[in-house]
Amino acid sequence: MTVQTERPPSGPVDVTKPDQRGPGEQRPASRAGALAPYLLLLPACAATVLLLGWPLLKDLLLSFQNLNMGQLIQHVTEWNGIENYKQALTGEDFWRVTGRSILFTAVNVVLTMLLGALVGLLLARLGKRMRVTLMVGLVLAWAMPVVAATTVYQWLFAQRFGVVNWVLDKLGWHSMADYSWTSSQLSTFFVVTVLIVWQSIPFVAINLYAATTTIPGELYEAAALDGAGAWKSFTTVTLPFLRPFLYATTFLEVIWIFKAFVQVFTINGGGPDRLTEILPVYAYIEGVGNQHYGMGAAIAVLTILILLAITAYYLRIVLKQEEDEL
Amino acid sequence: MKRKLITAIGVAAMLVSVAACGGDDGDSGDKAGADGYAGQTLTVWVMDGSSPDQWQKDVQAAFEKKTKAKVKFEIQQWNGIQQKLTTALSEENPPDVFEIGNTQTPAYAKTGGLADLADLKSSIGADWTESLNKSSIYDGKQYAAPWYFANRVVIYNKKVWADAGIKDTPKTRDEFYADLKQIGEKTKAEPIYLPGQNWYHFVGLTIGEGAELVKKDGDKYVSNLDDPKVAAAMETYKKFQALSKAPKDKDEATPQQAEVFAKGNVGAFIGMGWEAGTAIAANKKIESDIGYFTIPGATADKPEGVFLGGSNLAVAAGSKKQALANEFLKIALSDKYEGELAKLNGVIPNKESLQTNLTGNAVAEAAAPAAAGGGTTPLIPEWAAVENAPNPVKTYMTAVLNGKTPAEAAKQVESEFNKRLAQQQ
Repeated sequence: MTVQTERPPSGPVDVTKPDQRGPGEQRPASRAGALAPYLLLLPACAATVLLLGWPLLKDLLLSFQNLNMGQLIQHVTEWNGIENYKQALTGEDFWRVTGRSILFTAVNVVLTMLLGALVGLLLARLGKRMRVTLMVGLVLAWAMPVVAATTVYQWLFAQRFGVVNWVLDKLGWHSMADYSWTSSQLSTFFVVTVLIVWQSIPFVAINLYAATTTIPGELYEAAALDGAGAWKSFTTVTLPFLRPFLYATTFLEVIWIFKAFVQVFTINGGGPDRLTEILPVYAYIEGVGNQHYGMGAAIAVLTILILLAITAYYLRIVLKQEEDEL
Repeated sequence: MKRKLITAIGVAAMLVSVAACGGDDGDSGDKAGADGYAGQTLTVWVMDGSSPDQWQKDVQAAFEKKTKAKVKFEIQQWNGIQQKLTTALSEENPPDVFEIGNTQTPAYAKTGGLADLADLKSSIGADWTESLNKSSIYDGKQYAAPWYFANRVVIYNKKVWADAGIKDTPKTRDEFYADLKQIGEKTKAEPIYLPGQNWYHFVGLTIGEGAELVKKDGDKYVSNLDDPKVAAAMETYKKFQALSKAPKDKDEATPQQAEVFAKGNVGAFIGMGWEAGTAIAANKKIESDIGYFTIPGATADKPEGVFLGGSNLAVAAGSKKQALANEFLKIALSDKYEGELAKLNGVIPNKESLQTNLTGNAVAEAAAPAAAGGGTTPLIPEWAAVENAPNPVKTYMTAVLNGKTPAEAAKQVESEFNKRLAQQQ
């Protein structure tokens, strides 16, 4: 990665464009060379089409069908047009779940980014030994399989034999001794949020720590000479460098947290009383749980559309940046 | 060269005969050859805990001896079984024979996934107990064969009861409650482990009250949870649940109630007889302390209503081994092996004449008095959707236990309940 030591000037940048040669001047050897990138991209594209494109297409087809136990077992295809979408979009359940999903994602992303950024900055300031220790801890948390981590959290927060309740009780908070964390919407979301934030911090922290290593030390010296305090040098030197990284990680975190099916479903199955269902869980429970597969597929399609809408802003920035760079 | 030709013809013949089986939905696709069904393997799905190893081994041996074919038992879990079964039945190679819950049978009969067993019924089913066979019949056709039935009993820790100074087992609901109270006062043990969502026990209580969970509204079924009789059943449940420290929003399988009981400081729990085996597996020392009694009802002459859980055996309509599957059922459900199952597991067999196998079995003797007054959830195809998680009946129970009135709780789950009953099939 190249290091920019100045903000890029706002005027047109003086870059040599690689394709300034006229079309007639191309030689056959370079034409074969021009094909190489596409050939290299081919395996990745093929895998994407096979593993993502095909299921997506299937899902789309299912979403226009009335497909339940009977139809599935008998292999009958019953097209019902946009009936599934109509039912989903006119029912209040769907919109309630959508609102809940967006709020859930917002809270988790903000917490993750805030805490992750702080840990990242801490990493940059720590001495070598402590940094390695912290890094190892972060990587272990990051490397832990989701289902395993979720199971551990279930044990931690178990009502009768969970260590969290035990600690709270020992600390003198006796009413918590038998507290059921899965009994209400907020307490369930609390456990899920702790779990997800804990799982997501390492990625953000390590990413941002990597970003800070690209900032040349002279800049801080210069800032200090100009009389900048700690806060000032953070906002004028550190932050501008971190901005693209913050964008990128926020974008990824939004996607990951929005589709955090495993954590939510495993902790409490979307309960109590379906109050912690987020969109992917809702799609699963309506589709597979209730054996109403067409409906589930329709909700899944809508979920993808909503996620696209949420991330559209960032996608625009990325596309614009790429245009600028050309 | 010649050998190759023979092989080729053999392969071609096999392909043709396989294709013939595939295209034939009927019962004669795979008639036994000269040496029976040698080389074939029948896949049988049984539920966790429903058939002991000894029984499986004996049936396997008898089946192999008679048909020369092999049988492979695959153990399934109740949780999520409907989704798994639906998928399996839609596939090319479904399990040939499978165990299916009695309340789930009508829905699957309606899907067309179960083979018609009229022949089996006429050859071995003439004296199947009628009430137990009810769930297997849909639209007048026999879609499954009744296998075994069981109802819950009180499983108690004799040592805890003795420590509390109780000499005899209770005969009425009030005595039962007083005994549990006494355990709470005189010992350090938890009187009863009753999680908030042991919904089969709750269904039993509604049966005891003579209540129905659904009612007809025009031509469709709707929730009947707002019936005062259902509320009365729930009040009974709540009264006993208050004596337990078990979570109000969990069912008896999370954690396994028998494993909690196995720790030795729980007075009793309400469960299936074979759950005692789970407790003993978790803690060998508890074995000598375990006792059983019938769940006491409001008066001494009539035990509590119970949910008559049970399983049928069905043959997949898509199975290519229909005749072999029928052979298996004839052996598994024969008096010999049906009787053995009843004896080993203490479950009610599908014929009254076989009930002699239960004499001397502590579980069966505790269960039997209540069985006559037992019942099931509504035997309608629409019901299966209600049992899918999150089951609105369970939600109703937790809501009441957390302080709502039964009427409020019934109202809360009504739309979800009705939506499932009305779900397009």
